[in-house]
Amino acid sequence: MTLIWIIAIFFAGGLLCWAAQFVNRVLIKWIALIAAVANLALVGAAYAEYRNGSAPGDWLIDYTVNWIPSFAIKFHIALDGLSLVLLLLTAFLGVLAVLCSWKEIKERVGFYYFNLLWTLAGITGVFVAMDLFLFYFFWEVMIVPMYFLIAIWGDSNRRYASYKFFIFTQAGGLLMLVSILALFFINHANTGNYTFDFFELQNITLSVAEGRWIMLGFLVAFVIKLPAVPFHSWLPDAHSEAPTAGSLILAGLLLKTGAYGIMRFVITLFPQNSAEIAQWAMLVGVIGIIYGAMLAFAQNDLKRFIAYTSVSHMGFILLGVYSFREMAFDGVVMQMLTHGISTGALFAMAGMIKERLHTREMGNMGGLWTGMPLMGGLALLFAMASLGLPMMGNFIAEFLILVGAYEVNPTLTIIASIGLVFAALYSLRMMQRVFFGPRTTPDRHPEPFLRQGELREGSAHSASAVYDLSAREFTILISLSVAIVILGLFPQPVLDSVNTVVQSLIQKNTP
Amino acid sequence: MSNEQLLALLPFMVLAGASIVVILMIAARLSHTAIQVAGFLMLCFTVLAMGYVRDILPQEILPLFIIDGFAALYTGVIIFSVGVVGLLSYIYFEEREENPKEYYILLFLATLGAAVLTISRHFVSLFLGLEILSVSLYALIAYLRNRNNAIESGLKYLILAALTSAFLLLGMALFYMETGSMEFNAIGQKLAGSDPGVLFKLGLALMVVAIGFKLALVPFHLWAADVYQGAPAPVTAFIATASKVGVFAVLMRFSLAVNLQQSEFLLNVFSGIAIASMILGNILALRQQNIKRLLAYSSIAHLGYLIVAFLPGTREGIEASVFYLFAYAITILSAFGIVTILSTRMKDAEDLSVYRGLFWRKPLLAAVLAVSLFSLAGIPLTAGFFAKFIVLLTGANYNLWLPVIVLVLTSVIGLYYYLRIISTLFASAPAAEPRHKPLHPFFHFVTYATLFVLMVMICVLGVFPGPAIEGIRQFLMIR
Amino acid sequence: MPIERYIFLAIALFCIGIAGVLIRRNAIIVFMCIELMLNAVNLLLVAFSKMHHLKATAANATAGIEGQLFVFFIMVVAAAEVSVGLAIIVMMYRNVHSVDINFLNRLKH
Repeated sequence: MTLIWIIAIFFAGGLLCWAAQFVNRVLIKWIALIAAVANLALVGAAYAEYRNGSAPGDWLIDYTVNWIPSFAIKFHIALDGLSLVLLLLTAFLGVLAVLCSWKEIKERVGFYYFNLLWTLAGITGVFVAMDLFLFYFFWEVMIVPMYFLIAIWGDSNRRYASYKFFIFTQAGGLLMLVSILALFFINHANTGNYTFDFFELQNITLSVAEGRWIMLGFLVAFVIKLPAVPFHSWLPDAHSEAPTAGSLILAGLLLKTGAYGIMRFVITLFPQNSAEIAQWAMLVGVIGIIYGAMLAFAQNDLKRFIAYTSVSHMGFILLGVYSFREMAFDGVVMQMLTHGISTGALFAMAGMIKERLHTREMGNMGGLWTGMPLMGGLALLFAMASLGLPMMGNFIAEFLILVGAYEVNPTLTIIASIGLVFAALYSLRMMQRVFFGPRTTPDRHPEPFLRQGELREGSAHSASAVYDLSAREFTILISLSVAIVILGLFPQPVLDSVNTVVQSLIQKNTP
Repeated sequence: MSNEQLLALLPFMVLAGASIVVILMIAARLSHTAIQVAGFLMLCFTVLAMGYVRDILPQEILPLFIIDGFAALYTGVIIFSVGVVGLLSYIYFEEREENPKEYYILLFLATLGAAVLTISRHFVSLFLGLEILSVSLYALIAYLRNRNNAIESGLKYLILAALTSAFLLLGMALFYMETGSMEFNAIGQKLAGSDPGVLFKLGLALMVVAIGFKLALVPFHLWAADVYQGAPAPVTAFIATASKVGVFAVLMRFSLAVNLQQSEFLLNVFSGIAIASMILGNILALRQQNIKRLLAYSSIAHLGYLIVAFLPGTREGIEASVFYLFAYAITILSAFGIVTILSTRMKDAEDLSVYRGLFWRKPLLAAVLAVSLFSLAGIPLTAGFFAKFIVLLTGANYNLWLPVIVLVLTSVIGLYYYLRIISTLFASAPAAEPRHKPLHPFFHFVTYATLFVLMVMICVLGVFPGPAIEGIRQFLMIR
Repeated sequence: MPIERYIFLAIALFCIGIAGVLIRRNAIIVFMCIELMLNAVNLLLVAFSKMHHLKATAANATAGIEGQLFVFFIMVVAAAEVSVGLAIIVMMYRNVHSVDINFLNRLKH
């Protein structure tokens, strides 16, 4: 029941926000915040209850009700350790996304929060749907509001970015739909039973050729979302044009749905075919790591820079998943969480800087530390996290992945670890350009961009364009930094939660 | 003819009566409003009559008609579409013509033609239905006679449709030569096992051309964009829905009777047509700036999708096609409803610039349009998604992988131009234009309410299609 | 006379009709050509009707009657089509003072 409540609260909260637009504009934000916090509480309670994961092959929550009986489509949601930790991430970042938008969004506020909450509802649904049709349904539900977030509240080039985002992901999604249909009919041919249920389809036997094509349909959808290298080109555009909360959700959660899909569906349904392509997938992952890092190094746009670091970090996920080692799987789960947090934090910070300076160009920044030491310090923390400094969660994640992958393919793993060196390079360069060096920004920004009231945020420093964090911003960033440090120091609870899931994945994929 | 048979024809007689009632009302110089209301009531009576005769179905009225669940479903979709078109017409024509009344005669006649198509099982009734439909359409398309566009598109449609009618007739004549019969079932029996001659094949080809023309399938689609653009917006909505439903119904019935899908060759021809329509329709729509033309090309693509459901020639196929047509009708009617409402006295709202920033000026209208465009694009939560899904399901079930893959890929192309309109809707608004007061507040309200109901229907069908599908299945049992 | 000759004649008339529709620019002549095509079909239907009647057994007195019946329907429909068509042509003449269908190119492509 908890799961239904979570999804329903997001949906209903979104509708309420939209309706509240006609009543009171302040109310909207509070409704959104209450919905998000309520869900965080619900997920937290669920985590407290189920934190030790489940017995192998068992599910923590399993809820089914008929949806469209004519086509054997069921509303089937279930929770296991993997879903649980991802839900925790979703609820956590959901609250922060609402907080991030508090001052940034000034127009069409109700519709904005409607889209924000529906995206979160879609993401939650994706993480718990166990009926393949339902999964596809939620997959789309999270894309459409996201499209609106980018297309309406995005930056100057938003139209192009939103098209690209939507068409890329939709193309992948439709191919996945065809694959789902193929599974549906092959299963019927084998067992005489029409079903989209993941539990039942798990036992399907496929010929090698069939499996290959069907898996490809799924895989394309997920690697576009991930994104792996040849399909990554939507990501920098979408990330850089989206509003702050949009980037936060995109980087923190939407990319994770791709990783989740690969773990949950691709390697579970098609173990044999996955083994076939494992080497190639790892190669693609490593190419992503290196290529993303190199492009990140060359960026001048702060948000594009963060976007390319995501490409690089997501390469680790492919590398880890397709090495089929317990440690690597653990690392992948950790990577999903920590990347969500650290990149989310970086995007939030980019948004805050943009609120102050009205630019994303790193060339126009520099020397910001003097103006806002608090943010500078926190930025340093997240830059260190991103480059994989021990004590941060990212270090654990990448270390586990590399150790796991080393057993399988040492060459690729060594190349991948060069990515860590690059990460240090680009992170430090970013810090250097944004926070250190000579101060290039004037105290007072050229007038036309600034309206009255936008400056009130900085309390005492309202005369200056550069002012340090407000209490709200500080809350956002400090909670993220606490999370990342805790994950770095005590990763064990997460690993415990997903232990059974990882075990069963290993079992499936050990020849 | 027995009493029961006569009774079974009741809905169609009411429909025929509707145009006569309108003629009489015009003779009695009643107002436009009265005619509108009476017309709407007559449509309601038709629906009631259909419910009333449901229990005695199926009835076969030899040799021309058969009234069964199949016919009832398609007729239902037609009546539904015409009901909405009728409601939309009031405001549109009240502002334009000094004499909008005769429009309703033509509209109901065209409806009768389309409805007759769904029950025909004989070449004569097919031809009569088709011609009642097309002749009324000639006049409907050119109804706003002071606009050059209207006359141009009317004449274009007239010449091409008359030409294809001649093709259809020649095809029928050649069928008749081969089989000595004009009944669908008798033709099917005669053809079974025999190897038809070259003239018969010519006849078949001619009929495919004629049907392809009426459904605006590639390569017989050339009229579609011009006619959609030139015709008054409600008439365009009618062409896009009711007339296509009727023609598709008769195509389905004929192909089932003669086992058209058994022939490997014909199957390839139709899948070729479907694939060509999907690809070309979507590609031609990409660069359109005129929303009516854009919807014309998108309708070509959608009919291509529909043909994928036609290919298996089974009950699942019929089911899928009915659901698809119903979803498509709701969707396209709400899209054209918006075009109708936004049209001004001088010009239809066809230019994309009219829609710029609509969401911030008229949120309800924009929301309806956005939902219908999402539905056309096949995004979940809308009826269009489910329609497409069922078609995919049917296609995949019968291993029609090539059309299925083409359907999926072309849908992605289609996304682009639907998104273009949607992002125009949400673009920042230009300076608000002066608002003029609605002339007829009541009908404005009714139109808005209709559009809102359509939007809700799209969403409900998109989330809970189960009951609708069950209903369709039950009706299809009546045979 | 063997049936082939009727077929040849009808097809020839039909093709003349098609050629006329494609070549002639005058809307009224285009219309006449369409009429010609319809009448070609009428001729064909009557011929087939007779053919089927002769082939049928003596017991079946009404064999092949459908073809001839159909001809009447076609004639009626053709008349209706022409009347509406001519009305549209008259409107066109009022608007552009010509019945040349080359004038019909205002709709953009």
